[in-house]
Amino acid sequence: MSETASTPGPSEILRLPKRLRAAELVAVLGDLGRRSGDGPVILDFRDVEEFDSATLAFLGHLSDCQPGVSAANVPEALARAEAAFARRPDVCWPEKPAAPPSGTRSSRFFQAMADRFLARVRALGMFLAMFGDEVFHIGRYLRRRRGVYPGETWNQMFFMGYLSFPIVCLLLFLVGVTISITSAEQLRIFGAEVYIADLVGYAMLRELVPLMTGVILAGKVGAAVTAELASMTVLEEVDALRTMGVVPERFLMVPRLIAITLVVPLLVAMADVAGIFGGVVVARVTFGMLPSAFIDQMLNTVDWTDFAWGLIKTVVFGWAVVVGAGFKGLTVGRSAEEVGRATTQSVVLSITMIIVIDCIFAFVLY
Amino acid sequence: MDIITARDLTVGYGRTEVLRDLAFAIPEGLITAVVGVSGSGKSTLLKTLAGLLPPLGGGFEFAGSPVDYRSEASLGRLYARIGVLYQDGALLNGLSLYENVALPVRMHYPELPEAVVRDMVHAGLAQVEMAGSAEKFPSELSGGMRKRGALARALVLDPHVVFCDEPSSGLDPITSRLLDDLLLRLKESFKMTLVVVTHELRSIERVADRVLLLNDGGLRYAGDYADLAASDDGFIRTFFLRKGHHDDA
Ligand SMILES: Nc1ncnc2c1ncn2[C@@H]1O[C@H](COP(=O)(O)OP(=O)(O)OP(=O)(O)O)[C@@H](O)[C@H]1O
Ligand SMILES: [Mg+2]
Repeated sequence: MSETASTPGPSEILRLPKRLRAAELVAVLGDLGRRSGDGPVILDFRDVEEFDSATLAFLGHLSDCQPGVSAANVPEALARAEAAFARRPDVCWPEKPAAPPSGTRSSRFFQAMADRFLARVRALGMFLAMFGDEVFHIGRYLRRRRGVYPGETWNQMFFMGYLSFPIVCLLLFLVGVTISITSAEQLRIFGAEVYIADLVGYAMLRELVPLMTGVILAGKVGAAVTAELASMTVLEEVDALRTMGVVPERFLMVPRLIAITLVVPLLVAMADVAGIFGGVVVARVTFGMLPSAFIDQMLNTVDWTDFAWGLIKTVVFGWAVVVGAGFKGLTVGRSAEEVGRATTQSVVLSITMIIVIDCIFAFVLY
Repeated sequence: MDIITARDLTVGYGRTEVLRDLAFAIPEGLITAVVGVSGSGKSTLLKTLAGLLPPLGGGFEFAGSPVDYRSEASLGRLYARIGVLYQDGALLNGLSLYENVALPVRMHYPELPEAVVRDMVHAGLAQVEMAGSAEKFPSELSGGMRKRGALARALVLDPHVVFCDEPSSGLDPITSRLLDDLLLRLKESFKMTLVVVTHELRSIERVADRVLLLNDGGLRYAGDYADLAASDDGFIRTFFLRKGHHDDA
């Protein structure tokens, strides 16, 4: 500060400038910090005319925050403003001493881990309960035909189909092409080119179509369902349904679950065709194998049970996706940012569940 | 007769108690105003009474039987007899205003012919002067219009008790007066019980028979609106520092 002049004496006197707002205050604090001696300092406020709330707060806390520093010649305007300002914190923030964290650092760490673990376990319990509830709600709905908005199931089917059909077909075609190209080379070494049909057909129907379709459903349908239900929860629309005597877990979830159950078989059939078509194209280009020969060869190994198992698996994945998405959507917090977080979590949860369930199927089936 | 009686009722979220040990009664067929400064817990209390937020302690009776938050049947009986107007309306964004108002009818009486539903919806929208906007979606309505539409939805099944969270906030004086008149008409012609959260002193004066004043985590005053004038409690006097009332006296 150019205007600050220090006078030697028993205590240092710092004359403050005319304009003392937050920016100048920072400079003064810097000066105080850099001060060489540790004798008492007197801040001379006599020139201060312009000030802001930072100045007032600084003045109020001078004694506790800056030991050895005191104020002098505070102009009346500033003193009055400080007195008025200082009363505000008492109103807004009643003294609430923060509870001192107990225990050592590591025990706190383990405590936090244990709490998080328990929260996860509780969430898992709630999720499984919701799964059971949904089965019950679907049963109730199919018997009594009540509690669901008329036509909603159709809407959801179109919506889910519209979201996932094109991308499922495109991606599964590419997956078909990719695995045929990678395996074609190996097969040629053994002179077993013709088995490309068996390989592609089996892998597609049993494994790749269910897995890829499930993952795409998680990313498109699951994310959409969570985003929609979470924003309905945040906007109190779900509460509104409840007090209208409408059960949100039925009204919102049953149409989506029925829709996914009906859409998945169509998706799987299309995806199987797209994936095998990828294999047919590669076989034709690399080995000159005729499509009819490809299909004949494939049908030697693959039969309708492979298709059926792939279908069953995908339906289960679809259910996991929709129930997981609904769970994340309906248990969201109360702020808009949590909608985004819930959507991300829903996709991760769905993909995790799909892979775990797939693994369980693998153990059971083979 | 009291339609709602609360005993030792503590409401809040998780571990945060917002209002402690409330004891009050809401008489049937009258308008009770719930007042208090912003953040005092008016909406929270309403949510608990409407069966959305389990009490942290104590409980309340609705129409003579205790409301059990663990029993779906008990909550269902409660929901069947109440209508709720939410602070921000809470219309379903995916449905038109018409479909929003028709929703409770369709869900509870799927057998009703469409013509009957249509008449009910139009009558409901007309009483909040929203008949002209029936085909609009909530995103195409102003805040006040959404609120009026939501009120039509809360009323369409003629509930016994209507909870309104700030029905007239964000409305101009004329529409707000219209809403007050509607509340009075509901009370007089349908013997409805209304529990209304409001900040509008003029509106309280016009419609309220009873007042619950919340302050500082508890109930500061519960009684007839008419008796407020006699109170010498400083907080009550400040809160209701009113011109109208003195004029009457
Ligand atoms: N979902 C929630 N979780 C935790 N605390 C909450 C939640 N919602 C509100 N609160 C807290 O509960 C208290 C009461 O809130 P409430 O919404 O009931 O106030 P209000 O009286 O309706 O205020 P306003 O007049 O502004 O609507 C506030 O202190 C608020 O911080
Ligand atoms: Mg509120």
